[in-house]
This record gives sequence, structure tokens and C-alpha cells, in this order.
Amino acid sequence: MLLEINDIHVHYGKIAALKGISLEVDEGEIVTLIGANGAGKTTTLKTISGLRPLSAGRITFDGKDISRLAGHKRVLAGIGQSPEGRGIFPGMSVADNLHMGAYARKGDLSKELAEVYELFPRLAERKGQAGGTMSGGEQQMLAIGRALMAKPKVLLLDEPSMGLAPMLVQQIFSIIEKINERGTTVLLVEQNAQQALQIAHRAYVIETGRIVKSAAAVDLLDDPEVRAAYLGGDLGEPESIAADEPAATADGPAKD
Amino acid sequence: MKTNESTRERTNGSPTVTNGRPSFAALTPRARDLAGRLPAALRAPGLPLAFPFAVLGLVADLFRDWWGRQTGYVRWAIYGLLIVGALLLPSEQVGGFMSPYSDWAQLLFFPIGGYILLAIGLNVVVGQAGLLDLGYVAFFAIGGYTMAVFGTKFGWSFWEILVLGVLLSALSGVILGAPTLRLRGDYLAIVTLGFGEIIRIAARNTDYIGGPNGISGIPHPPTLSEWTVPESEPFTTLGLAGIAPLKYGALDGRPYYYLMLAAIVVTIIFVKRLESSRVGRAWASIREDEDAAELMGVPTFKFKLAAFAIGAAIGGAAGVIYGSQATSIIPRNYEFIISATILAAVVLGGSGNLPGVMLGAFLVAWIPERIRGLQEYRILVFGGVLVLLMIFRPEGLLPSRRRKAELAEGTGGMGSLGAEVGGPTTHAAAEVGK
Ligand SMILES: Nc1ncnc2c1ncn2[C@@H]1O[C@H](COP(=O)(O)OP(=O)(O)O)[C@@H](O)[C@H]1O
Ligand SMILES: [Mg+2]
Repeated sequence: MLLEINDIHVHYGKIAALKGISLEVDEGEIVTLIGANGAGKTTTLKTISGLRPLSAGRITFDGKDISRLAGHKRVLAGIGQSPEGRGIFPGMSVADNLHMGAYARKGDLSKELAEVYELFPRLAERKGQAGGTMSGGEQQMLAIGRALMAKPKVLLLDEPSMGLAPMLVQQIFSIIEKINERGTTVLLVEQNAQQALQIAHRAYVIETGRIVKSAAAVDLLDDPEVRAAYLGGDLGEPESIAADEPAATADGPAKD
Repeated sequence: MKTNESTRERTNGSPTVTNGRPSFAALTPRARDLAGRLPAALRAPGLPLAFPFAVLGLVADLFRDWWGRQTGYVRWAIYGLLIVGALLLPSEQVGGFMSPYSDWAQLLFFPIGGYILLAIGLNVVVGQAGLLDLGYVAFFAIGGYTMAVFGTKFGWSFWEILVLGVLLSALSGVILGAPTLRLRGDYLAIVTLGFGEIIRIAARNTDYIGGPNGISGIPHPPTLSEWTVPESEPFTTLGLAGIAPLKYGALDGRPYYYLMLAAIVVTIIFVKRLESSRVGRAWASIREDEDAAELMGVPTFKFKLAAFAIGAAIGGAAGVIYGSQATSIIPRNYEFIISATILAAVVLGGSGNLPGVMLGAFLVAWIPERIRGLQEYRILVFGGVLVLLMIFRPEGLLPSRRRKAELAEGTGGMGSLGAEVGGPTTHAAAEVGK
């Protein structure tokens, strides 16, 4: 296993956000973690990348226990992340944002830069523009491209479809598939379960800090409970979660 | 050519630009836009008031574009001219206009020179790393007390103490930062505010360093040279004849001003080099998004600590120099108002942009002295000027382009979902990074 998360507990003050999450990501896979708003998806990713400390449990990456490793060192170990809300540096140009992505690395960047610009031609057109003035979709591309600059072994993506128009969501997801085909392992967090399950190999479902299901992605697409809860499915209106669903697919303010 | 490229790119989008150059025809809409942000009751008088600020912004933009097109030689020539100008400042003719109510040379040394050095130091912390420090006066105090204690009790010379003072204040910056820099925003501000007070109150209650009476009889720096500016032309006309610029006595403030000026120049070179290095890039990323910076592999905690230590060291240097001239210091010299004033200078001038920060410090130091004739109303007028400045130029008098982009993002709510390109500020922001 490339990434192994073993029964992790994470707290915000006294509130437990994760109550024993375990999941595994094997080399070359796309694994998706789906769940409603507030289920603990972002917290899981932040804990993997070292932005949140864990109160119990263990994270193993590439055979090494990284549970207590500082966040900036996990980048060198091979964990790259495009954070929730994209985390673009607004005052830096597109090119500078990409260079920041390779901050921890030494040596020549031209190969990675060329690859990012090839994946996202839009970024190549906008090299000099300030990150903060890009549209939502462009920022998402920049966030993913920036994470790739560190040549990660595993790429953590936190809701890349958030606030994007459906057309753009399609485009982003097919680029994620392409990145995976070129050899980068992907852990994809999504509320947009329909899209995520279509490109993923395996999937986990998270509810209020616990994993409630794990299966091959195709199986979950047909799972009646999952259909009802996350796919706006055919069992009528399920409680609580239904309210979140339109937001996930809605056309946010970002247009392209 | 670089020139063509930058003018061409500027034409994209910005409404204040025609044919690649800002035009004065664009001023009125710009002033109206500024005035439009005012509450309705203020709006009518707001338009004429906004005008000077629009002009200032335009002139600054023009200058920045021009500067961007210059070669190294021209830039060095201008740096040289600026330094010559600073050397001529103590002239009596300049003083007559700038400071009719108090001793100009003294004023130039402190508060003007002192505030500028302090503002450059605080700018490292606030403007570059984006950490709010409300207790910056603590480091000024530590520098001052280092000078006083080691000068009077141990007989060290000024230059030795300058080195020691810089090291001690940097160390205290690390001691303050290590436990507190894990805090963010408001919490950090409160802890640093407390630190500033603790240092002052501790000084007041420590008999060894004179308690509330402080320390007097602090030695002046040793004379470096007896050389005197000749009593002949052009120096007589310039009003500089007869100064011994490297001889530090009790009477003449001008040699201390030159000492402060040297410290400022050295600090500017140091800070500028940092800004364009890996360290500067790390600070910028922390300021713009700390979590994202960590995700890029930036050791955020280490760099925040470094910003604190460097800012503290500069504050300490200012403290040592001030102490060596003041002859005596008391805890009351180091009240919170100094921290607040220096922070005002940084924000007012344009946090993160060195020329802006220095201009802010100059104004904050100079205006209250210049209007001394208004007597008890002067602080009221000073406060009014600050309020006006913040209404019309919330990003500061001379903001960096980059800071404008950050502010535009900040006002855009959650992240910048969609980041629709809006008013002139966002357009200007699009040109960052050239
Ligand atoms: N900074 C925080 N402080 C306190 N509670 C938080 C914080 N961030 C998230 N939480 C809580 O942790 C839980 C999980 O949140 P999160 O991981 O953001 O969920 P998701 O990404 O699945 O929407 C939620 O109950 C949320 O309220
Ligand atoms: Mg989330």
C-alpha cells in the first residue's frame, strides 16, 4: 500500500471530527472519499498532509510512519494536495504560484512546468495574471497544477468540482483521469459523488467522522443506499443530505 | 523589448489606461469611484477630497511603470541622488520650512529617522510575513536598555553594544515567537500586545535598571573622526557648514541623524535582498495563505520565527542608537503608543512596500511636529488626517501592486470563487508579477 490510514481520530478542541477512520490507497489507483457537508472529508485530507495533528491512530506512507512528521516534510516524502477552496496565492502570478509548488524541490523545473502547461493550456495563456483574479475554474486548474509541480506520488484533491459549472467539472475530471494514467496516485474527496464514482477505482463513504462503506466504485454507483443519499437517487427525498446535493452540482459564481 | 511588452500588457483591461499610459482624463472617474465608497452623507464633499488621492495613486503608478523600464545604471543613479538628498536634509534652510517649532536636526534623528527604521523592521513582520505584532516597542526598549546598562555599568562602547543589542532583541523575538507563533491573527496580536506591556512594566519594577527613573548618563558613541564640513561654498549656502558629522556630542543632533541614516541604508539593503530571496517568497506565501504555504513544503513556523527575529533585531538596533543619543531613558519612553504609531505608519504608507512604509513613518513622525502651532488641537488634526487617509486609500499611500491583489481577494468573500474582474483595483491587480 502506498498510503495507509489506520484508525485515526482528530479533534477540533473537544469536538471529535474523525472518530476512527481507516482507508488505504494503492499505487496507481484513483480512490474517492465521498460524503455530505461536514462529514470530515477535508479534515481527513488535512490530517494526511499534516495540517491537523491526530489524537490517535497512524498514517503510513510509502512504508514509513508519517503520523508525527511536519506538514512541509510530507511534501518531500511525496504527498501533494490541492486544498479545499483551492488555496491559490492571490498576489502571485500564475507562474509564481506554480514555482511555489516546487518550493521544496531543487533543480530544474522546466520539464514539470511544460507538463503542467500541456495539461492546462489555459494556464500557459495566463502566466502573468495574478492568481486572485482568475476565475474559479482557472484557479482549480492552477491548484492542481501547482500540486503537480512537486512531483507527488499521491495527489490529494479536495472537492475540485466545488462551485464550477457542469461543463468545467467534466473537463477537470477528465484531466484527473489523465494525471492518473500518467502514473500519479489520486485520493479524491468529493460531494459530487456521481462524477467521482465514474472515474474512481474504489470508493469510501464517510458519515460524521466514520467510514460507513467501502467498495469498488462501480458497485457504489449501483448501491441503492448510496444512490438515495448521494446521487439524488430514486428513493425519494432522504433526510438531511438531500439539502446539500443541489449545491454540489449547481453552477456556482465561477464561469468559464 | 521589455518596454513594449509591459506597455502592451498594461493596456489589457485597465480603464485608467489609454494607449498604454494612465491618462489624467481618467482621474475623475477614479476619484468618483473612491468617493462612491463613502457613506451617503459624506459623499458630496467626498469627491473633491478623493481627488488628491486619485492623483497620488496615478503618479505612483506612472512612476512605478517608469521605474520598471529603467536600466541598472539609472536606478543606481537615483539611489545615489536619494542618499545625497538625505545627506543634505539637516540644512537650516530645509529645517526652516519643515520644522518651524522645534530643532530640525533633533527631529530628523528622532522621531523621523527612528520611526523610519522601526517601520522598516515592523514591515518585515507585518508587511512581508503578514503577522500582526502589536508589541513591537518591546524590541525598541530592549535595544535601549541594552545600550543603557552596558554603557553605564560595564563601560562597553557603542559599537559593541550595537551588536549585542541586535543579538539580544533577536533572541527575545525568538523567545516571544516560539510559543506564540502557532497562534493566528487576533490571538497573536493580543499576545504581542501583552509582551510589549510586560517588558515596560518589568523595567519599571526592576531596581537594577533604575525602576521608574530609568537610567541616565548613557555614553555617546566614540568620535570616529574630527573632520568638519568646511566653512566655504557650497556648504555655506546649503546650510551645512561647520558640522562634524562623525563626532557625537551632546549638543549637535546632526551626527546622530547621519548615524541613523547609515543604519537605515544598511537595513534597506538587507531587507530588500531578503525580499527577493527564497526567504521573501516563503514569507509572501505565508502572508497570502499559510496552510497552502505549508502544503508547498514551506516550513511556515520556522519562517515566521525568522521574520519575528529579524524584525526584532531591527527594532533593537533603533533602540540602541536612540539610547546613545538620548543620554537617559525611562520606561515611559516605551509605551504602547509607539507600537501603535509604527503600525499606523506601516499600514498608512502601504504595508509590504518599502518606499510606502518609509513615507508613512515620515508623515506619522513629522505631521504632529509640523502642526505644533495648533497646540492642543494637533493630535485631533493628526487623527483626522489618519482617518481621511484610511477612508480614501485603505491600501495605503503607496501600496505594492501585489498587496492590492491580495486586498481585492480579501474583499471577494469566500476564497475568490468566480473572482469576477471588477473595479480598477482588480484590474491593476492583474498586472502583478511583471
Ligand atoms: N476549524 C474548525 N474548528 C472546529 N470545527 C471544525 C473546524 N473545521 C471543521 N470542523 C468540524 O469538523 C467536522 C468535519 O468538517 P470537514 O472535515 O470540513 O467536513 P467536510 O470537508 O466533509 O465538509 C464538521 O463537523 C466541522 O464542523
Ligand atoms: Mg470539505
